[in-house]
Parts: sequence; C-alpha cells; structure tokens
Amino acid sequence: MDIVDLARLQFALTAGAHFLFVALTLGLATLVAVVQTRATFSGDPVHLRMTRFWGQLYIINYAMGIVTGLVMEFQLGLSWSGLTEYAGDVFGSALAIETLVAFFVESTFLGLWIFGWDKLNRWAHLALIWGVTLTAYASAFWIMVANGFLQHPVGHVLENGRLRLTDFGAMVANPAAQVAFGHVLSGAMVVGGFFMAGVSAYHLRKRTAEQDVFRKSLRIGIGLALPGLFVTATFGGIGFQTLQPTKAAAWVNNTERLAAAQAEMVARLGPGDYLPPAGAVQAGGITMLTLFAVMLFVAAPSFLLMLIRPVVHRFRLWHWLLTLMIPVPFVTMLAGWVFREMGRQPWAVYGLLRTSDAMSPVTWSQMVFSLAGFVTVFAALIAVNYWLLARQARRGPGAVALGDRPVDVPVPAPTF
Amino acid sequence: MEIFILGFFAIGYLVLAGADIGVGMALPYLGRSAGERREVIAAIAPFFLGNEVWLVATAGVLAGLFPRLEGELLHGNHTVVVTLLLAWVVRDMGLWLRGRVPGARWQAFWDGAIVAGSWGLALSWGALLAHVLLGIEGPVALLAALVPAALFATHGLTFAALRLRGALRARAAVLAGGAGEGRTYALTSAALVVVAVLAGLRLPLEPGTSGPLLVPVVLTLIPFLVAAQAWVWWTFRHRVSGPSYL
Repeated sequence: MDIVDLARLQFALTAGAHFLFVALTLGLATLVAVVQTRATFSGDPVHLRMTRFWGQLYIINYAMGIVTGLVMEFQLGLSWSGLTEYAGDVFGSALAIETLVAFFVESTFLGLWIFGWDKLNRWAHLALIWGVTLTAYASAFWIMVANGFLQHPVGHVLENGRLRLTDFGAMVANPAAQVAFGHVLSGAMVVGGFFMAGVSAYHLRKRTAEQDVFRKSLRIGIGLALPGLFVTATFGGIGFQTLQPTKAAAWVNNTERLAAAQAEMVARLGPGDYLPPAGAVQAGGITMLTLFAVMLFVAAPSFLLMLIRPVVHRFRLWHWLLTLMIPVPFVTMLAGWVFREMGRQPWAVYGLLRTSDAMSPVTWSQMVFSLAGFVTVFAALIAVNYWLLARQARRGPGAVALGDRPVDVPVPAPTF
Repeated sequence: MEIFILGFFAIGYLVLAGADIGVGMALPYLGRSAGERREVIAAIAPFFLGNEVWLVATAGVLAGLFPRLEGELLHGNHTVVVTLLLAWVVRDMGLWLRGRVPGARWQAFWDGAIVAGSWGLALSWGALLAHVLLGIEGPVALLAALVPAALFATHGLTFAALRLRGALRARAAVLAGGAGEGRTYALTSAALVVVAVLAGLRLPLEPGTSGPLLVPVVLTLIPFLVAAQAWVWWTFRHRVSGPSYL
C-alpha cells in the first residue's frame, strides 16, 4: 500500500469507530435526558432506576467516543496538513467553534453530571444532562459544517494558493451541511431508539426483575426510532437531490452517466481521473437503503404491538427480533457514511484539492507506526468496551454504579 | 489576540491537566493498597474530563487560527504526537474502566494503564517541549523530557496534597518541606506557565486569515467556558472523603 492509502485507511478506521460510538451517544443522551426529566418531575423510583441504568450505558459508550474523537482531531494535523494548510483558514473555523461551543461544555457538564450525582440540586442536575445533550447536537452540527464544506465548498476565495473565508453565513447555511446534519442526527435517534428497545426486549424475554423499567423503556425506544426513521429518510431524500455529479453517477453506476460526469470535470479542470470508486459507493448506498427498509418493517408494527401491555410482556419472538435488530442501525450509519465519503473521492475538498495532495510530508514508516499503534489499541479497547456494554446491559438496573450512593460516604476498603 | 487565545487554552491545559497527569504518575507512590488507590483517583476523578478538553480546545484553536502551525507542529513531531495520543487514550481508558468490573486483577491492570499512560503523556510532552525549546530530537530527547515530566509529577503531588486527607495527604506533601499546600501548588503552576510561555516564544506564531471572524467569537465564549469550569471547581472544592464513581 502506498502512503496515501495508509493515511486514508487510518483516518477511515478512526472516523468509522468514532461514528459508531457518537451515533449511540447522540441517541442515548437524548433518551437519558427525557427519562431523567420524567424522573425529576414525578419522583417515581422506576424512572430514577431507568435514568441510572441508561445513563450508565451512555457513559461507557461516551468514553470510547471521546478517545476516538480526539485521535481523529489530531490526525488532521498529523496526516493531512496539506488539507489544513490549504483550507484550514475556512473549515478550521468550524472545527474551532465545535471544540469550544460544543465539546468543551459537553465534557465539563458531563463530568459534573456523573460526579455531582446526589451532590447537586436535582434541577441543576437535570439542567446538566440537557446541557450535555444540546452541546452534543451542537458538536454534530459544527462537524457537519466542516464536512459540508469539504463536500461542497462555499463562502471562500483562493488567495496565494490558500483558501480564505469570505462568507461565514454561506458556510454555515451550506445545504451539504444542513441536510447532512438533519440526516445524521435523526439517524442517531434511530440508533438510540433501537438500542433501548433491543436491550429492554432482552430483559422482558428473560423475565428479569424490573419489568416496569423495561416495559416503559421499550416503548420510549420504539417511540423514538419510528419517527426518527421518517425524519432520517426525509433528509436523506433531500440529500439525494443535491449529490455531486460524480457521486450521483457512481451511485447509478451507469457507464454513460459516469463518462458524462468525467467529461464535465475534465472540461472544467483539465485531464485526470475524477470518478469515485463506483462499486463502493453503490454498495454503501444499497446497504443503507435496504437496511432502512428492514428497520421500517420492524419499527412500524412494533409501534402498534407496544401499545398492548400483555404483548409487551409476553411476545418472546418479537423480543428476540428487537434484540437482534440492535446492530442494524449501526451498520446502516456506516454504510451511509461510506456512500457519502467514498463518493467524494478523489477529492479532499470537492473540485479544489485532491486527497493525494492533502497529505502531510511524513514517511511511510511513520505512517505504519501510527496506523499499527492506533489499530492495536482501538481494536482492544473497542472489544473491551462492547463487552462491558453488553455485560452491563444484561445485568440490568440492579448492578449500576452510577448514582449508587452518595459520593462522600466512606465504604470499607477491601482487604485483598 | 490570536496568540493570547492560544496561550490561554494551552496554559489552562498544562496547569489543570498537568495536575491530574501528575497524580496518575504518582499513583503507585500515593496509593499503596487498592482502597488507597481508589481514594487517590477520587482526588482527580471529577476534574480529568473537564481538564483534558483544554487540550482539545487548544487543538481546535490551532486548527482555526493557526492552521499552518498546526500542521508543522503535529506532523513535524509525528512519532512523539502519536505516542502522546496513545498514552492519553490508554490513561483515559484506565480511569474509566478500572471500576467497571470487581476484582483485584482487573483493577490492578487498569491502574497500571493509568500509571503507564500518565508517564507516557508526561514524557511525550517533555519530548515535544525539548524539541520546541532546545531543538533536541530522537532518543536523547527522552533524557531532556525527564525534566518536564518531573515537573508534572511534582505538580500532581502538590494538587494531591490539596485534595487528599490523612496519610495520603502527608505522602503527597513529601517534597513540600513544610511549605503551605496552596503556595506549593501555586509555585508548580507558575513553573508550568513559564515553560509554556518560553515554548510559545520559540514557535512561529503566525495566525491565518480567519482571525477577524473567529477571535470575537472565541473571546465572547471564554467567560462562559470559565464559568462552566468554575462550577466544577466549586462543587468539588472540599477534600476527598471517600471513593468516587471511578
């Protein structure tokens, strides 16, 4: 593999891993905030146990989201300094605002939410989880503004071989950013909704204690996933209307369309190969649409079934199906991401900077070192964290450490 | 003004996160049993998440206001930066995972990850500073890196002395020679500020072109960010009196 392929592989693995955790973070944060709101208003212990249980799963997942995210942020300077030098004055602004408006506040508030359990006033504690949720949305928004610029650059001029931002409003209002943000955020609600429904169905099928917790949770999960699917599809449909010509041609994978798109780019930019890998683009798109249909066929009848209480408690085949559905929205997310990002190739900034020109001047062995390091560490950590997530999900609300006891009450130290 | 903003977040990171990194480095010294180690971790637990985002913000400010320097600094120190990131990841995961499963071996393993990751982070910072300040690279830089790493560890001890009680507090004060805990913490903080300022003077701090737009935005945000952090400091201003969530 040449060095550009290695750098792309490294970024793709990091971004893909990050996307898996972030999608669940966005969905679960919303659900935890909703559940905690009910708990705070009602004072019902069932709602409180729900908050702690789903909150614990949220935190396990969030921690992996942070560590993959920060490696991704630094990779821009490590591997892709050609891109940051050329376009950093434009899309770097969106990244800077993301770290300050969103990530900084999100992490600060999340720390307070976790460690301030039973220490803070309950309304302040509730405000914190909403702060965490809204800043997570803001984070996704500004990242999609940066990504939207790379997909469809607007609001800039070229000066001395570098881009300069001339119209901040145009960059933020970029349809390639706004539509994708709506699509990704509602997709994340689908991920979170199916996750909550699937885990709840497991407990209902196993007839574990806490039937109230999981009946209510299952309803909330499906109640979010189904409308989430409609909103996701709406934004996705608008997105299909605004595809770049080369991506659209690769999607239909029609020889004439591809030749026409190539000819148009050659006429505009001179000789070169301007087509993305059509097979990967098409496979990503088809996988996404097929799994969307699968989710819709499960979520729509589930929405009706969940209204009947005996069914929610006893229909074990349906419980099985819901639990098996947990990975499906994740795969759909990744497929959509492959469709969008492979379809942008060979460009780092569409029509302006090629991916092969976006690299840092690093050596092959440096790239192999970082790739090997990140892949080894992340593979191990992802395995451990998914195992922990599954373990915690199986063990149920009785075994949750979050908010387990007042923080400052001393417990006897173990004697081993 | 761009330079002020970069310095604000970079110094904020070194002083705040420097303390929790230092506590991680000194964990085997401060905590001699599983129970003690958990109490030592409780000294930094509420803070580390809010501390490390200062570096995320520093990287964001570099990307927005100094895109050229960001590239040069990161790929110009590729191996050191990759090591720093790996150490950061391992350390964070040690903190999050140590309490997830009961059992002495599980906890000892992840405590080891915290210690190794903290040392890795401190030495990577040391190597980066050695390159920026003295132009030293390669294996020799590791020797020079020991000095900033020792500063992190000392800073961690002064912070631990402020947060812990009883025997743990006495252990943390070993280097203080009877000086007040607040004053020693101020002293190690000041040393870190000096290092950061010297490093800043050696860097080619030429801002990009997005300053006129971005600087007012960031300056408006800073009071809110500091207020959010101050809420954390105020909530956890008392000494640790038992284990925390981690």
